Amino acid sequence: MTFEQSVQRLEEIVKQLEDGELALDASLALFEEGVALAKRCQGMLEEASGTIQRLIGDKVEPWPEGPHD
Amino acid sequence: MALLSVSDLNRLVRELLDAEPLLQGVMVQGEMANVRLHSSGHLYFSLRDAGASVRAVMFRGQARQLVFSPQDGMQVICAGRVSLYERDGSYQLYAEMLEPAGVGAEFLRLQQLKEKLQAEGLFSPERKRPLPLLPRRLGVVTSPTGAAIRDILSVARRRYPNLAVVVAPVQVQGPTAAAEIAAAITLLAEQGQVDVIVVGRGGGSQEDLAAFNQEEVARAVAGSPVPVVAAVGHETDTTLIDLVADRRAATPSAAAELAVPVVAELVAGLQMAVSQMQTALDHHLALAGRQVDAIVSRRVMSRPLTMLEAKQERTVRLEKDLGQATGRRLQEAKARLVEHSGRLAGLSPLAVLRRGFAVVEKEGKAVRDASGLRVGDRVRTRLQVGSFESQVERVES
Repeated sequence: MTFEQSVQRLEEIVKQLEDGELALDASLALFEEGVALAKRCQGMLEEASGTIQRLIGDKVEPWPEGPHD
Repeated sequence: MALLSVSDLNRLVRELLDAEPLLQGVMVQGEMANVRLHSSGHLYFSLRDAGASVRAVMFRGQARQLVFSPQDGMQVICAGRVSLYERDGSYQLYAEMLEPAGVGAEFLRLQQLKEKLQAEGLFSPERKRPLPLLPRRLGVVTSPTGAAIRDILSVARRRYPNLAVVVAPVQVQGPTAAAEIAAAITLLAEQGQVDVIVVGRGGGSQEDLAAFNQEEVARAVAGSPVPVVAAVGHETDTTLIDLVADRRAATPSAAAELAVPVVAELVAGLQMAVSQMQTALDHHLALAGRQVDAIVSRRVMSRPLTMLEAKQERTVRLEKDLGQATGRRLQEAKARLVEHSGRLAGLSPLAVLRRGFAVVEKEGKAVRDASGLRVGDRVRTRLQVGSFESQVERVES
């Protein structure tokens, strides 16, 4: 599931829980699903490497930060 | 040799130009570029051909009388005089007359290209792809030395410190620019593992932006498998790449803001969602709890035996009440019976006779009226005990 899809599902869950028309056990199951989704999304945010590189030809090199900053 | 100030020098050159009769009445044909109608009403522009360009100005008085609206790319014939603008040390054409001379070649080329790509559907809104909410790797196509790359990197870093960025460095102007930009877009899309690409440069004149008006760049953008944000710095004109890109921004910084989310906001949004879920669930649990309480607190649930005892008590009491009520009624009935019996007894003829009265009968019927009797009639008189017969001797009625 992509970040978008996860966030979208999370929004659905929040809405369903807030509507309060579900049986209690269904609510609990949704809540668990939602918390797990939120955790996974948060994980995705932290996953990216934070690197800056340059791509020349088919060579990927670190970005020479110094001279350009 | 005299030492001149810059002002002295510029004045000297201006006076030389102003004194040259050939320059006081010239007629020039060229393509208009960088046309700008200033709020003062003066019209500023450049005239150019394949190899050169010159700045020009038409003052408000004449500019107001133009019957057409001057635009970049127009071929014009311009009449005026040449002088020096001392502040900048640049000479310019002071236009007094301006007439269109057909449409400029570059303008025409771009116009035709736009029409062709439009017909192919390259600008259609349905082709525009949404940018990813969370890009994992951002691709950037721009000059490695311009302000644009600095702006893009610093905006990206500020919004999403963890974001990975891959830059494909290119020339953004000059003869090879268009080919380099097109190749870099394709390369990044194919090998950079990026999920969005920002292509652009800082602001410049119409000529500086020429690479972004080339067909090969437009086609590379259209062919990119990931969304492209155009980031060509300009305020008014639209370059071709703006029309093809999935999103366009007026500056490289603005493009980075479109492409890179503020990760702190995403985190806050997730936390908000969790707390909303928590609140909703707490609410649901509290509601369910109250429902259970309401049921449990009813007496039948909390003290079932008491309820039963109470019912038994009531039954017993009802039985007793019933018994009492029944007894009382019976006695009343008996009393009434005795009373009625007494009265009944009073009505019996025998009781009357007992009190000493007698009944006179004639032919078996009681005589109530003496007028029914005749002298000589025979009547029978009944007493309490026995009876006797007698004959009527006299009647008084």
